[in-house]
Amino acid sequence: MARWALVSGLQGDLALYEAIQRDLRQLARVDTLFVLGDLIGPDRDANALLARLQDPRRGELAPQCIYGWWEEQLLAERGYRGERRADPLRQQFGQAAVEALEQAVDPGHLAWLAALQFGFIELDCALLHGSSAAVDDSLGPDSSPLLLLDRLTRMDVNRLFTARSGQQFRLELSGGGIESQVRDLEGQRQHQQSVPQRQVIGIGAGVRYTLYDPGSDRLDFLVAGSRPQQRARGFA
Amino acid sequence: MTHAVISCLHANLAALEAVLDDIDQRGITTITCLGDLVGYGPQPNEVVNLVRERAIPSCQGCWDEDIIEGLNSCECSYPSQLAERRGHQAHQWTAEQLSEENKAFLASLPMSLRRDRLLFVHGSPNSQHEYLLPDMDAFAALERVQTADADTLFCGHTHRPYVRELRDGVIRVRVQAPTDPQSPAEREMALPVRRIVNAGSVGEPRHGNTHATYVIHDEATGNVEIREVPYDVERTCRAIVEVGLPPVFAWRLRHGFEYAERADDASHVCER
Repeated sequence: MARWALVSGLQGDLALYEAIQRDLRQLARVDTLFVLGDLIGPDRDANALLARLQDPRRGELAPQCIYGWWEEQLLAERGYRGERRADPLRQQFGQAAVEALEQAVDPGHLAWLAALQFGFIELDCALLHGSSAAVDDSLGPDSSPLLLLDRLTRMDVNRLFTARSGQQFRLELSGGGIESQVRDLEGQRQHQQSVPQRQVIGIGAGVRYTLYDPGSDRLDFLVAGSRPQQRARGFA
Repeated sequence: MTHAVISCLHANLAALEAVLDDIDQRGITTITCLGDLVGYGPQPNEVVNLVRERAIPSCQGCWDEDIIEGLNSCECSYPSQLAERRGHQAHQWTAEQLSEENKAFLASLPMSLRRDRLLFVHGSPNSQHEYLLPDMDAFAALERVQTADADTLFCGHTHRPYVRELRDGVIRVRVQAPTDPQSPAEREMALPVRRIVNAGSVGEPRHGNTHATYVIHDEATGNVEIREVPYDVERTCRAIVEVGLPPVFAWRLRHGFEYAERADDASHVCER
């Protein structure tokens, strides 16, 4: 079965995107490229990258993109999110960052960015920037297992791929359970529920990206430009 | 301290009066209301006025929010187009009847109230529109209480009272990092004991009986009593028809169960 490449956090870096595309051409059985948000950022002009994502060159994998935290901030500031503005960005990085982000993206790209989806469901996998709760939900290997299980349950998926934390990891819910006792006007009943065998996978960001084989459940955590054919870092 | 929790009054004055009488007879002076003061029923101003007169601390329910903010709910609010049309009729009628002063009061209600480790909400800590059904995924239910930093979560919205205790929970995880894929780290999280108490509905019971429901909680013992209170159902049913609200609302009160108003998907999170 063909593999997926999962990328995030390009933040306008066309050279990085081209490096990843070069990697993917050398790798076997990679037929789908997902870009899980943060296509843009305040640090560099994102227009060339956005143009390439919308109009791939011959021989490149055509990217399937969703929006991330930085797109959410820009779209909010430009009035695409109702009354909300880029207040989280303003609070974290200041007004200068808001202005830099606006300058990084030509208005002509806004309609395309606004049409991007929150996430994809592929097979039994959710591909998201943050989580099923919010685009800014940062899930990592140290996140509360209860919270991770909740995020999986909300989407009713077996694999949740997330990018927001920027970390690469595979967290497997491997066991456990809970007792539930309900009393109502009809009486009392008890129920034992087991932890489902599900996983949350951090795909990384920027130069760190991930390959996933949905047929074998194998993951390869890669770094752009560093011997992508190497197998030692992957695991099933 | 023993306190009473009421929810989903739904503009049903006869039911509210009966429940408050029942609470008064037990000498309970602390009452918390979980919202939905209006909607479906024929006496929105009278019910809001009574809650204000009694100075009952209240959360904002989904109907209270809709009357103020306008209808913009996601598809979870109504299970069918017919139910949605009836709901919209009730919304429009209620919005026309409510005084500006009472609308301002509903707009001022908080999303949640907290007393020590007790949290009071209408639907869930996430949203006034989220249903915490008694059989929803136990881990997701626990997450709602735990993330809100509460021991006991009081909610309404489902119109069916229940007490759910979640205990003896544990989640084991295996974490693999790219730097050391062959040696996954294992850890275990012991989950705390938490409770969800649904107060049912004063003004539109849907538990299979026409009696109004609410709960009494004894903080010292932890005991929760689900109370059923009979009231003059016909008085409210007649008023529903007289003011021109859809007669099915009276039918529901006479039968005490839901009619095409059930939230089927317990895992659904409202997207509004």
